[in-house]
Amino acid sequence: MALKNTDYSVKYRRAESSVLTEQPKVVFGACPHDCPDGCSMLYKVKEGRLLKVNGNPDQPFTRGRLCVKLKDFAQHHYNPDRVLYPLRRSGPKGSGEFVRISWDEALDEIKQRWQKLIEDFGAETILPYGYAGNMGLLNGMNSGDAFFNKLGTTISEKTFCGSSAVTSQLMTIGPALGTDPESFLQSKFILIWGGNTVSTNSHLWPFIASAQKDGAKVVVIDPYRSRTAKLADWHIAPKPGTDGALALALINLIVENDWLDQDYVDQYTQGFDDLKAVAAAFSADKAENITGIKAEEINRLAYEYANTQPSVIRVGIGLERHPNGGQAIRAIDCLPALIGAWRHAGGGLLQMPVFVPVRGEFLSRPDWIKEDTRVVNLSNLADTLTNDELNPAINALFIWNANPVSKLPNANKAVEGLLREDLFTVVSEQFITDTALYADLILPATMAAEHNDIVTSWGHFYITMNQKAIDPPGETVSNFELFQRLAERFGFDDPRFTKTDKEILAEALDWDAPLLQGRSFKMLEENGFIRINVPEKSISRPHAEGNFPTPSGKCEFRSSLDTSSGFVAPVLRQMLAGRQTGRPIDSVPNYILDDQCQDKNECSDKTLPLHLISPKSHAFLNSQYANEAHKLRKQEQQFVLISPADADARQISEGDSVRIFNQLGEVGANARVTTDVSNGTVVATFGYWPGRNLLNGSVNALTKSQIPGFAGTPYYNDTLVEIEKLPKEAIRIRDKKQ
Amino acid sequence: MTYVITAPCVADYSCVEVCPVDCISPEPDDSDFQDAEQMYINPEICIDCAACVDACPVLAIYEDVDLPKRWQHYARINRNYFTNKNRTGGVE
Repeated sequence: MALKNTDYSVKYRRAESSVLTEQPKVVFGACPHDCPDGCSMLYKVKEGRLLKVNGNPDQPFTRGRLCVKLKDFAQHHYNPDRVLYPLRRSGPKGSGEFVRISWDEALDEIKQRWQKLIEDFGAETILPYGYAGNMGLLNGMNSGDAFFNKLGTTISEKTFCGSSAVTSQLMTIGPALGTDPESFLQSKFILIWGGNTVSTNSHLWPFIASAQKDGAKVVVIDPYRSRTAKLADWHIAPKPGTDGALALALINLIVENDWLDQDYVDQYTQGFDDLKAVAAAFSADKAENITGIKAEEINRLAYEYANTQPSVIRVGIGLERHPNGGQAIRAIDCLPALIGAWRHAGGGLLQMPVFVPVRGEFLSRPDWIKEDTRVVNLSNLADTLTNDELNPAINALFIWNANPVSKLPNANKAVEGLLREDLFTVVSEQFITDTALYADLILPATMAAEHNDIVTSWGHFYITMNQKAIDPPGETVSNFELFQRLAERFGFDDPRFTKTDKEILAEALDWDAPLLQGRSFKMLEENGFIRINVPEKSISRPHAEGNFPTPSGKCEFRSSLDTSSGFVAPVLRQMLAGRQTGRPIDSVPNYILDDQCQDKNECSDKTLPLHLISPKSHAFLNSQYANEAHKLRKQEQQFVLISPADADARQISEGDSVRIFNQLGEVGANARVTTDVSNGTVVATFGYWPGRNLLNGSVNALTKSQIPGFAGTPYYNDTLVEIEKLPKEAIRIRDKKQ
Repeated sequence: MTYVITAPCVADYSCVEVCPVDCISPEPDDSDFQDAEQMYINPEICIDCAACVDACPVLAIYEDVDLPKRWQHYARINRNYFTNKNRTGGVE
């Protein structure tokens, strides 16, 4: 069954006929956000004003729709709170007192302060902190790489999200795209593991819903009953962090019951005996003890998954945020090869289709990195900024595309660091966020319709063009131009810093690569998006005969990758490939019982009996839009889902204000008493701005910040807390603007 | 969290055509389709994409949190349509 033919042209005819005078100009947009859907959009502009942003009806995956976050994207550009000019701090750090200065003054101050610090401590005293606030090739996570690599600053490792998923995939099936999401229409068994598709991958949902109508069974594995789980045919709720034990039990049952595709295993996999040996320790009964899922249900899942083809797994990123998360994904990645699901169109696995031929070496210039330049993982900014023994200490911080005070683990300690008088902090931002409050200088940044870019996706097989539609307001500049201005101040005259945005964009992708064969930058500009050169969705069977881009060419149950010092993908560390600094990763998937808690003393600490998980908020995009009144109305105040028994034990009723706390901090929330969570588990979504919280807190601040083991992903979903009623007199909202 | 169809609806079916998850009823196969005075959005299935808002020729569709005061009760009317449908196995 195909998706129904949604006739979006109707609404465009209507929109156009209503404009009696000048027709609006329409240019192509690309959603800039950290979301797998990477929408192709249409910017409608009249007399220099962005009137409306719609989805591009021609794009086959996003199909002309946007989402709850982007539905009023045009208005977002005109939010009166935007930072339009460079600002210098005029009061104490964190006071929010700033005065307007010129760009020249701002750049002069940065150059003068940094040069003095470089003379005194070396360039490694400067820490770049950029992340995924923008996903463009020019303005995104890697937009500062070339400049900072040239300057010789500390290299930042950015493993907040997706890092374990990427490493797991590289170790198992290599840099492959995986199953085409559009081919899910042909699937008969769809397993969504650790993701809330309806809220965070919503353009995939119509494909799944259509397959479901056509008879496919949709199964969601998630510790709580998410919006997606409510629409599934079957919701399986393991205890947080136990997915690895469940996956190994499935492998064991498939082997024991001979539901294997032995021919596929023999021809196209490596390390079967090793995997079998590890999985043998995980009987369904043992997995029941660990996961809380009945052995009978585990048996049924293994049987139905293995014996219903085509079966496909959509791996979310929720399950990676735990000590056992990385290896859990490794085990899951092995499943389709065991049962030969890759043989079928609509079968296999979709995880991180990020491996499009971007010219990372050209964009980030890792060849400029001096030998032995220090690498610092940003997940632990809290300790990095407050560590007296770090040599050199971090004395300058440059933050863009990121709001760490809202999202970092152990953020309260990070704020202690941000308050250091000897720390020079520059923040490039669209708004005065909770992070920008602590800046010495704030630089005004553009939004998507105000600059050119190309956006690649981590959820579909298209590359999308973003064309500048309107002039940047005030003195805002794109991140691309920001780093060009900085490069010029520091006297860097390499063509990488002097070419125009369009010149760099034209070279940003490797147009000679097989995946882009027959495509060109011109086509991208003219069409707004291009499909990567892979077979049509209906016949797409990328690994029907192996062809995995791994060292062995096979699906590697036992990985060939050198992970003796961990492995973080170079794109997450300014394209530095060598000098990995993590803990070793076992080459065969496993599940370590002791890793149920990072700290055994804490495991036995009965004062923190609740396991907190913090998924993404439905109406926010990480912390973006959490300052928009409309999104706050939609998302409502920070809430926490708690089971009736856990609520009763604490005399908590529906709607009560509560305090969620542990040794790292506290966050206020409104209690929602519900059977959507099991006893012992509580759920509070992240992204809210701390200044508007009942207790000035953020959910992620309760997460420990120590450098995690597997590919650096913080253990957001391994956080132990207690909850108590919050008396009215204890409420202290700093920023009452809602 | 959902969109809601309100009083101005003329049941012209534009929204049904663009809804990517088929959460708007009645559909042509439903027995009450011919006589329907308005369309309804199923709040359990709506994914908040707003495609129907742009398609509506009479501006009848609002997000639940933005409903005009005089049409606040339409959130309940939309929801009840599906509750009744489920109870009777189809609206007669």
